[in-house]
Amino acid sequence: MILRAPTPLWTVLALAWAPLPLVAEVDFAHEIVPILRKNCVECHAGDKSKGGFSLNDRDMVLNAGVVDIQRPEKSWMIELLRSEDEDERMPPVDKHPDPLPEEQIALIERWIKEGLPWEPGFTFGEERYEAPLKPRKPQLPPGEADANPIDRIVAAWFLENEAESPAPLDDAAFLRRVSLDLIGLPPSPEELAAFLADDSPDKRGKAIADLLARHEDYADHWLTFWNDLLRNAYDGTGFITGGRKRITGWLYGALLSNQPYDAFVRELVAPTPESEGFIEGIQWRGSVNASQTRAIQFSQNVSQVFLGINMKCASCHDSFVDQWKLKDAYSLAAIYSDEPLELNRCDKPTGETALAAWIYPELGEIDAKAPRDERLRQLAALITHPENGRTARTLVNRLWQRLMGRGIVDPVDAMDTEPWNSDLLDYLASYLVEKDYDLKAVLALIVSSRIYQSESVIVGDGLGRVAFRGPIMKRLTAEQFIDCVREVTGSWPQAPSGGEKGPLTLEAVAKARGLKAWDGRPVRAALQELDPFQSALGRPNRDQVVSSRPDQVSTLEAIHLANGPEFASMLREGARALLATSKPVGELVDRVYLAAFSRNPDPDERSLAIGMLSQGSLEEGMADFLWTVFVQPEFFYIR
Amino acid sequence: MNNSWFDASRPGPTRREFLRRLAACSAFTLTGGAPLLRAEDEVDHPAPRADACILLWMAGGMASAETFDPKAYLPFEVGTPVEKIISTFPAIDTSVDGLQISAGLPEIAKIMDRGTLIRSHVQPDLGSILHSRHQYHWHTGYVPPQTVAAPHIGAWMAKVLGPRNEVMPPFVNIGQRLEGIGESQEIKAFTTGGFFGSEFSPFNLPYPEKAAEAVRPPEGMGPDRFGRRYRALQQMLKHSPQGENLSDFHQESMLRSLDAAHRLLGSPKRRAFDLADEKPETLKDYDTGRFGRGCLLARRLVEEGARFVEVTTEYVPFLHWDTHENGHKTYERLHAEIDRPIARLIRDLEERGMLERTLVIIASEFTRDMMIEGVPGSNAQDQSRAKTDVIKEMKHYGLHRHFTGGSSVAMFGGGVKKGFVYGKTADERPCLAVENPVSIEDLHATIFTAMGISPKTVFDIERRPFYATKDGKGNAVTDVFA
Repeated sequence: MILRAPTPLWTVLALAWAPLPLVAEVDFAHEIVPILRKNCVECHAGDKSKGGFSLNDRDMVLNAGVVDIQRPEKSWMIELLRSEDEDERMPPVDKHPDPLPEEQIALIERWIKEGLPWEPGFTFGEERYEAPLKPRKPQLPPGEADANPIDRIVAAWFLENEAESPAPLDDAAFLRRVSLDLIGLPPSPEELAAFLADDSPDKRGKAIADLLARHEDYADHWLTFWNDLLRNAYDGTGFITGGRKRITGWLYGALLSNQPYDAFVRELVAPTPESEGFIEGIQWRGSVNASQTRAIQFSQNVSQVFLGINMKCASCHDSFVDQWKLKDAYSLAAIYSDEPLELNRCDKPTGETALAAWIYPELGEIDAKAPRDERLRQLAALITHPENGRTARTLVNRLWQRLMGRGIVDPVDAMDTEPWNSDLLDYLASYLVEKDYDLKAVLALIVSSRIYQSESVIVGDGLGRVAFRGPIMKRLTAEQFIDCVREVTGSWPQAPSGGEKGPLTLEAVAKARGLKAWDGRPVRAALQELDPFQSALGRPNRDQVVSSRPDQVSTLEAIHLANGPEFASMLREGARALLATSKPVGELVDRVYLAAFSRNPDPDERSLAIGMLSQGSLEEGMADFLWTVFVQPEFFYIR
Repeated sequence: MNNSWFDASRPGPTRREFLRRLAACSAFTLTGGAPLLRAEDEVDHPAPRADACILLWMAGGMASAETFDPKAYLPFEVGTPVEKIISTFPAIDTSVDGLQISAGLPEIAKIMDRGTLIRSHVQPDLGSILHSRHQYHWHTGYVPPQTVAAPHIGAWMAKVLGPRNEVMPPFVNIGQRLEGIGESQEIKAFTTGGFFGSEFSPFNLPYPEKAAEAVRPPEGMGPDRFGRRYRALQQMLKHSPQGENLSDFHQESMLRSLDAAHRLLGSPKRRAFDLADEKPETLKDYDTGRFGRGCLLARRLVEEGARFVEVTTEYVPFLHWDTHENGHKTYERLHAEIDRPIARLIRDLEERGMLERTLVIIASEFTRDMMIEGVPGSNAQDQSRAKTDVIKEMKHYGLHRHFTGGSSVAMFGGGVKKGFVYGKTADERPCLAVENPVSIEDLHATIFTAMGISPKTVFDIERRPFYATKDGKGNAVTDVFA
């Protein structure tokens, strides 16, 4: 038993004698915070928001509808605290067997009555990492002057973390990886042989330059990435009036000419008729949730795609997990909207009208009174403002993720999260700007680094605990997989497969290439409309922005690979094309290995393959051998 | 920078470990990148009343007044004012005292004593009636569009409960074509595992009679060659210089999935997909068309361990239950299409002792009315194609407008009461639910509860909580449980 010190008499007297003790204002910091901290924040602060209620800051408490300043005793919060129903009472019985003492409840009631006084800047949320906005060119750690700056930063990071650098990649594996990453195709056996025979010291640099100069191959490949990100080529009809406008021709042209990224962003945000499909979004039919109007889609997509901000939470209510508020989401939306835009909280009108504004006012403001086109131009200028480092960081992080398997900030759409190395992120971002927003220059810098040209890290059981150890394997996209099968077997389709509305993508691409009709160039899978096989392999239908696809292979996909009619017919066509070359089977086996894996078969593999070719008909044997090649992880994953 | 969890020395698993793990893995339950159950909101799942669920989907808006909730009947007669017509079929008695359903469903009438009929299911009026949107809402519990891809309720069951038998796909979808029909993108939008990923997406079998092909070696390949090809792959992998790389969890996922696929394709269980295996007289009894054959397939798949099977009459705009004109005649055909197979399915499950642990649901995205589009006072556009004040010809006779104010859902087995009716609609137009209205959220909560899934089950997706029923607020209608 603890003996309490007797209460000093003067306090008792003061309480007893004070004429109106209740007029003393509630002391938020000393009276309220301890009660809330002890009883409430476990479930209602930080990233916890049980029952949709967070008391991270004053606005959140006010906006949650749990307090009634006019009639504090009728506040939902007070009713729950005083409730005699144990199922309903707060704090919950399992955590706090006894209800809050009445004097504490009375204190909270007074606090509400006094208008919820709050310490400015105080939050129950944890201290958050604050992502910098301004660009920063970090000082490089010591190292050889001519070393790739990425490697100097990574070497310092490895040193600091006492980690070993992964082993360097051999020439053949390098060429396969860089070729798949930059143009989406593996090197042909001839390209591989020439590369291996070349003994010049700068042959890797030259190979990189050559690949990036294959403009159409580059555009064919990167179209997939940008289509996902800009949710281009969504085909839905019924939800939509007037359809979703595609931007394929514009996008392909921009990739073909390697349009500088700042100009690219400006044309998407303040568009021409060719590029307006992105901000116009999807006009859903009927009454939709307030967070899915075109204006709010604009707010969500512009912030996600270009700034790595998830406004989805904030477009319904102040976010519980980051700093973005309902007002931020609506201010951005109001830039787009032709009509005055009323704020809706959780789909209920608030009576407040949004004023067009931008989320980083320190860079400049939007003139809310300017016409829409002008507001969009102002926004485009702010997103690509020289003092706005966020746009470049977001983009280079996406490119790093594509090439290295995981972002420097991860996930890539949460750019308010701390990067595992801010020097690396900031260096790449400043490099992009220095090179006049040249995307290919950034790609070249990354793939030229020693760390990119290292063996993949083997990840045992998930990525959760790994910050960075080196490149991580990436699976081929649906489009890449199909292209690689076609390339290895030399059986490219000469014509498009029409989707439900015909070969829209191909037509737009032909136009962007300055053609009247398709010229017989192999039709890459990205230029085909979505079909069930591509869909099974993970190509999304793009009603949502997709910034990374699943990296594992599901059973349903495996069933498609095992017995799907589409793949079976690709294998048949491939077998026929190979056999039509009339080469001896041994030579064909070697060729397939070289084309698929960029290596020769080892003797066991070779004899297994030849054994397969001698079973049943030659065409069947070849098709089966090809299957065993294409479903090997060595083919399916970029190592 | 502090990275105490960083461990560069941690070796990857050895190949032997990897193979052992591969053997130990259950085929459909493992996914590395899928969203995580929110630990802090862990919920108590109710004790399951059923292990499997069959949803018989009456796609296109089945009129309850013409099926499970008949009202005053007026026969076809030229000159009848349409506002007088509520039902175009008379009512017939069922095996439950005092319960009547529409003429044309005599076999279903005989099995009504096996289940519960909810007559007060209501849906929100979404402004402009569009079947695929309402179907999305019904199948996912969320009104589209959503900012994240909402999973189908079958995917929830596959994800939370896993497969009943590890070679059987846990979620099978029978009878709906996804290509070449109107609104197909919109149908695909909810025929999906959503953010759970493709591991939990449906195994789609649009043609029940061709289901066997979906689990058979590809065309032109016998089982010998198919088996030989897979064995050759395993040999190739054994000799591959890749070695340790194969233990990478990505690569492992690929080998595991290929293994699961081949286990299904090589398993005797795949015979479950083959309707030709049934006795001809059984097949004949079910075979009223694709839907009937689908019911038989569903029974076979559930017998062999499928978790959730949906069988649809198929949604195609303006076809089947989606009667914008000539409703009465169309319903004569539809009655015949569903009556025998549904009754037979229930009896078959009962005979096999499976009905108690299988929840069978008959439902539709909304009902229909002769006059009202949406609900009274709605500004939804009138979509009838047979607009008239009085009946002039047969095509005017039927329920041609979409009504969201009170529809019927029948449930059998899975621990629901037998011969029980819950809720009611008004006998006069507007035939709104006037007793115990059941929302989609509450209906889903009831279904999930029967299956042993808490309606408050929640996953973290893009750092927001996403619940099995919207905001975790669906309440099971416990009155329907025995």
